[in-house]
Amino acid sequence: MSVTVRLPRLLDQAVAGGLRRQANGETLAAVLDSLFVDEPRLKNHLLDESGRIRPHVLIFVDATRADLETPVLPDSEVQVLQAVSGG
Amino acid sequence: MMRIAVGTEKGAYLLTESGSSWQVEGPLFPGWKVTAFGQTSNGTHLAAVGSNWFGVGIHQSENLIDWKPSESPPSWPAGSDRKMEQIWTFHNLGDRLLAGVAQAGLFSSDDDGMTWYPVEGLNEHPTRGAWHPGAGGLCTHRILDGAGTTWVAISAVGVFRSDDDGATWVPKNDGVPSVDTVEGGKRPEIGYCVHGLAHDPENPNRIWRQDHRGVFRTRDGGDNWERIEDGLPAGFGFVMWRDRESGRLLTVPLESDENRVPVDGRLRAYASDDDGGSWSVAGTGWSDAPQFTGVLRRAFDGDDKGGFCFGTTGGKLWLTRDLGRVWQELHPSFPRIAAVRIVA
Repeated sequence: MSVTVRLPRLLDQAVAGGLRRQANGETLAAVLDSLFVDEPRLKNHLLDESGRIRPHVLIFVDATRADLETPVLPDSEVQVLQAVSGG
Repeated sequence: MMRIAVGTEKGAYLLTESGSSWQVEGPLFPGWKVTAFGQTSNGTHLAAVGSNWFGVGIHQSENLIDWKPSESPPSWPAGSDRKMEQIWTFHNLGDRLLAGVAQAGLFSSDDDGMTWYPVEGLNEHPTRGAWHPGAGGLCTHRILDGAGTTWVAISAVGVFRSDDDGATWVPKNDGVPSVDTVEGGKRPEIGYCVHGLAHDPENPNRIWRQDHRGVFRTRDGGDNWERIEDGLPAGFGFVMWRDRESGRLLTVPLESDENRVPVDGRLRAYASDDDGGSWSVAGTGWSDAPQFTGVLRRAFDGDDKGGFCFGTTGGKLWLTRDLGRVWQELHPSFPRIAAVRIVA
């Protein structure tokens, strides 16, 4: 079973395969790693130089805010949002 | 037919001259800051983009309309405390492509921007621990080269020169006040907020400098700088441009670092035809209406054929076709303009 990943529109020009993707993994980190295999440019946009999720990027697993260690279940949905920072 | 690429806080626009008007295409990269334009050695166009959320990227195009993201923009090593905040400038150095970035650094590419490696001699300079940002960030924003020497401008650090192909770099700011010392105080090795540089390609040791602390020139590659502000309404600003054929210099003064708008709202370029010895308002065509707007350090370009264009923080473009004798304000309005490049 694969996980659905939904990306924000701003990243449309950074990915080759569209904003709704399928990926695999049992944690959020593993899901993202599997996505980065097909979309290597995405890593730079979601993670900072330290390997952490960028400060103003929010990632939800099944509508709950997640970190890289968050477990991901088969059929889960991962959603990437940009934080509302400022006006 | 002139074409101008305009990078703004929200996307890029391409202006193409069409009779007496301008056709506008865009926004390209909607939602992204477009911070620099460049070209590879084989003519492929480059656009640097950035986002407050998603970091930086570089896109490549053959026709300025269809763009593809490049695989790997410059980045600091994994685990680094430094952040890749913005790509400020591209520069062609022989077959190499250089990129100046924030947080301040210089990166080089031998494959037209597909992959990048850091220029360690500058990025790990012994003074790095004392580098501090200005209002625009800690940024490497201008690169010059000539006769085997390379200069970079870093805010608010200063001008560095390398005479050994980038292996080692020496700060070159004698004669320029630093941003954090008072007159008579001990002169620091770094801490100089250079805003703009232009040089004479035929004699690259002649360089003109728009600095946070005034306008300066050097005749010896930066060993000594002297102040040149005769005729200017203010020493502050970001623009410094030199036409290759005539030697005419252009700058756009702003009131001060506290108030980064033209003095009394009189937006004007100033020209010098004597290597900066004296300055006067460049030409005609300026608006009599107050223009309380600024011009950022990468928001101008010239084509060495008489064309020179600058964009404002208010989103307007001003253009001259005759090296500043006559100016026109172009009618489109854009978001805050960060980068301008005359592409044809």
